[in-house]
Amino acid sequence: MTRCLDEAKLQSYFDGELSLKMMESVTLHLASCVTCAAAARELEEESALVMSALAAEFETSVPTERLRERIDAAVFGERLTVAQSAQKATGLAAFFSGLLNFGSQRSLGFASLAVVMAFAAIFAVVKLRSTPNTPQKDETVAVVNSPSDKNPTVAKVDRNDSLPSTGETVAPPKSTGSGERPAYRPIKNTANAAPKPAPVKLFPGERSYLQTIARLDSTINSSKKGMRPALQVEYERNLAVVDRAIAATRSAAKSNPNDPDAADFMFAAYQSKVDLLNTIADARVGGGGRGH
Amino acid sequence: MTKKLFAVCAVAGLILSLAGSTLAHDEKSDTKPGEKVERSLSVDPQAVVTLCVASGTLNVRGWDKSEIRVRSLDATQIDFRRIDKSKDTSKPAARIDVTVLNKSTGANPKMDCQAIADVDMEVPTGATVQVQTRDGDIAITGVAGAYAGSQNGDITIERATKLVEAGSVGGSILLKDSTGRVNLSSAGGGVEVINVRAANEEDTFEVGTVSGDIQLDRVSNPKVTAKTVNGTVTMSGPLAKSGWYGFTNVTGDIVLEMPHDASFQLNAKVSDKQDIVSEFPLKYLATAAPPPPPAPVVIKPKAETKGKTPEAKVKPKTAPGTPAPTPQPAPKAGPIIEPIRVEKHGMPGPYMLRRVTAVCGSGDATISIASFGGTVHLKKI
Repeated sequence: MTRCLDEAKLQSYFDGELSLKMMESVTLHLASCVTCAAAARELEEESALVMSALAAEFETSVPTERLRERIDAAVFGERLTVAQSAQKATGLAAFFSGLLNFGSQRSLGFASLAVVMAFAAIFAVVKLRSTPNTPQKDETVAVVNSPSDKNPTVAKVDRNDSLPSTGETVAPPKSTGSGERPAYRPIKNTANAAPKPAPVKLFPGERSYLQTIARLDSTINSSKKGMRPALQVEYERNLAVVDRAIAATRSAAKSNPNDPDAADFMFAAYQSKVDLLNTIADARVGGGGRGH
Repeated sequence: MTKKLFAVCAVAGLILSLAGSTLAHDEKSDTKPGEKVERSLSVDPQAVVTLCVASGTLNVRGWDKSEIRVRSLDATQIDFRRIDKSKDTSKPAARIDVTVLNKSTGANPKMDCQAIADVDMEVPTGATVQVQTRDGDIAITGVAGAYAGSQNGDITIERATKLVEAGSVGGSILLKDSTGRVNLSSAGGGVEVINVRAANEEDTFEVGTVSGDIQLDRVSNPKVTAKTVNGTVTMSGPLAKSGWYGFTNVTGDIVLEMPHDASFQLNAKVSDKQDIVSEFPLKYLATAAPPPPPAPVVIKPKAETKGKTPEAKVKPKTAPGTPAPTPQPAPKAGPIIEPIRVEKHGMPGPYMLRRVTAVCGSGDATISIASFGGTVHLKKI
């Protein structure tokens, strides 16, 4: 995986919605791609921010039940409104007229406008809910708890049924064959949910390597245009070699977490990358300058 | 007649006076337009001389004079800049910066390292040279110390006596017949070293590449380190007594060719799926249990696992002309196995490391090998 990861894939990665193979691939890529690692960190921080903002909601004893009730109530209310809107248009107008009857033509005008806007909003909601299955549909995925079961389930609002399929355990949205999925960020119940897929776990000491590499990388990239083609070719060729080595050794270290020697190989590969970047940075800066 | 004699004497006197004036300034210059630019300067026998160009071949040669001489066909001007800390000009210069100027730099001496010129330079044999070029090759012969850097050019250093440091991005490095501390690095180029030894006990030998191969022939420094990511490491020649040899790579083989009476201890960490093939009789040292299987626990940094060795599946291989040794189930202390081959796993599985600790002879030298995915060969010369 040489191309940078898009946000959707990263989010899927954090949500554990990628296939095992793809998860591994993304992990390896993050280990070797500074840009994507930075994006991943940013995404992780954003998620943490969202989660902290919703912490109070999640920390209640039955957090998603209340949410579900609200959703149910809202959906029922909307359906009821749509069904009765035609019949009760006159009554509603009279109600609003009575409510807003200040004896002024202007007040009536405002009231009429408000009624029109309310109808438009209701129509839009109903229309959206009856839209065929599109990527936007997934935005309605909510995490709820079944009333009879404390175990969290993921309820999916079906396009043919505006009500959540309560009690039905639905797997998270399947990723497409390529592992892609639309860019959205479902909110999950972390309090009771199944074990969240581990984010990118760095080995002790790995972060400092990544930081050093990021600094050197930015130094080199800052004036990469000035790099001579021959040097750039050599740089990129060897960088690819080192990145492959890092990916392979990291994978091995990950599969042998208790074996420090496996991690040593990974750190040796990282050190090779640092050395290479240092060499290139010196060559680029000096352009043949006196380096000794 | 007297007038002619007077004229001749006057001319001769003028020439001598000019020559004397030049020598008094310790400098000579034979600059002529369109011809080779040459400049020389008396220096300390152990002077440090730096030279840097953007592009061009640099040839440096040590000679038995306390003088440096710089020549170039491409240069328009060659300047010496004395950069001693001492300002005592009565003494020969101890640090000299050679500035080469040509059409690409104009006459601006600040355009350092920008000249495009081939340069030949002679320095005292006790001198240390620091030379750098971007595109050209570098050749250094017969100096005490050599620092050389090139982006894409090849570097050749011979008969250095104290230290050598050379680095190239894409070029190769060749070091021959030298003594002292050595540090060589190349990203994409190969490194070849022939007949190098230490000048004193502290002289280490380090070489590293990313994708280039490393070839060491008769390197007898007490501590030898060779690291590569994707290259093959080959070392041949006798081992230094009590020497330490460390070889690390990710992919690529490690081949050690040693005399038949070589005495060493082997500490190897290799992939479980790769081979260690030895033509030497190896006696396994006591080994501990293999590392525990992977477990979902927090990794403790640098946990000590010294002495741990997986249960290596060693398949004894019958050496030509020798009776088949008794198969050994595991590398435990005791019997001699010759040669050994670490079996490969037939089925793909998780990466596992194999540790082999063994001794050949009395174990004078130590060979430490860490190969992530390569095969290790121990061959007899």
